[in-house]
Formats: sequence, structure tokens, C-alpha cells
Amino acid sequence: MSSIVVKTAGRALAPFILIYGVYVTLFGSWSPGGGFQGGVLLASGIMLILITHSQKEIQRLAQDIDWFETFGAFVFLIVGLLGLLLGGAFFSNLWPGSPTMFIILDIVISLKVFAGIVALSIFFFGVEVKTS
Amino acid sequence: MGLVVLTCLILISSLNLQHEDKEDSPIKEFYEEHHEEAGPDNLVEAILLDYRAYDTFGEVMVLYIAITGVLILGKKRKEGSE
Repeated sequence: MSSIVVKTAGRALAPFILIYGVYVTLFGSWSPGGGFQGGVLLASGIMLILITHSQKEIQRLAQDIDWFETFGAFVFLIVGLLGLLLGGAFFSNLWPGSPTMFIILDIVISLKVFAGIVALSIFFFGVEVKTS
Repeated sequence: MGLVVLTCLILISSLNLQHEDKEDSPIKEFYEEHHEEAGPDNLVEAILLDYRAYDTFGEVMVLYIAITGVLILGKKRKEGSE
């Protein structure tokens, strides 16, 4: 359906977008960025492959991706409850002065947003392919 | 026509916005002086995930519920059509 130019450009651009998403996620504590932005960048990389290729393997992989969303939300809640148990308040900082907790929360939020946006885009792009 | 009216209204209301000096706001000074104790160098990150982590939790849950709702509704519609 899509031409070879679109396919090649999408395949060439997607790894850089994914790497930049991982960078924005992991370095949220030192530079502008964070979990939400990194997750959306990762999802945009997958969306680019989805639009240009729309292969069945990617869609099958994305069938189970909404589990990651539940996992992310659950771990976020667990970290908050750990802060309640060990630190005395909901989401209290377990390692004050070090960015450990921020990196954990960033990764978790990034996974969650990534899985959510990819599941949404799979849903909106994939319905037509599935029924045909 | 409605777009022109809306643009005019937004422009008129934006004229009333005054640039207030909030440089001596105490909460800003607190964040600038104390965010090193929380951990990250990035001030926004410190506010988002430490001082206002509960707020971020609500944000995450809103996204979660919205996406879950869309997926559930779409699944129901597809089963109904088949």
C-alpha cells in the first residue's frame, strides 16, 4: 500500500526516534524530559513503523502490549505504597538526595504511556486491517 | 465567522493579561533552594515526581482509565457488529 520511499524512510527513522525516547526517559533527572515525554516518543517510533509497514507481526506483538500499561500503573502504585510503609507518607522519597526513585518512576511511567499510546494506535489503525 | 469572533475574543481577553512580577514568590524560592535535597538536577522532575507525586499518580490513572475505556468500547462495538 505504501511506497518504497515511505517504507525505507520509516525504517531508517524509527530506531533513532526509539533511542531518543529511551534517552529522554532515562535522563529525565538531569535534562528536560521525563516519563511522559519519553513514553510518547517511544510510541511515536512504533507508530511510524505501524503506519509505513502495517505488518501482522507488529500487530500480534501489540495485542498483548496493554499488559505493560497495567504493569506500569501497578508498579507506580507499589512505589507509592512503599513510600507509605517505609517513609511514612504516600510517595515519600525513599532515597533523598539521589535520583534512584525518579529513574524508577520515569521508567515505569514511560512504559505505561508507551503501552497505552501504542495500544490506542493499534486499535485505531488495526481495526480496518483485522476485519478485512 | 465563528472562528473570527472566537479569535477576536481571545485577542481582546489576552490584552487584559498583565505580566505580574512573581519573582519574589516564596514557593518558587523554596523549590529553587531545596530541590537538590529531593535528588534530581531537573527542577521540573523534582516537582513532578517528589513534591507533587500524588498529582502525577492521578494523571497516570486518568490516562489509564481513558485508554482502557476506549479499548473496552471498541471491543464491544466490534462484537456487536459481528
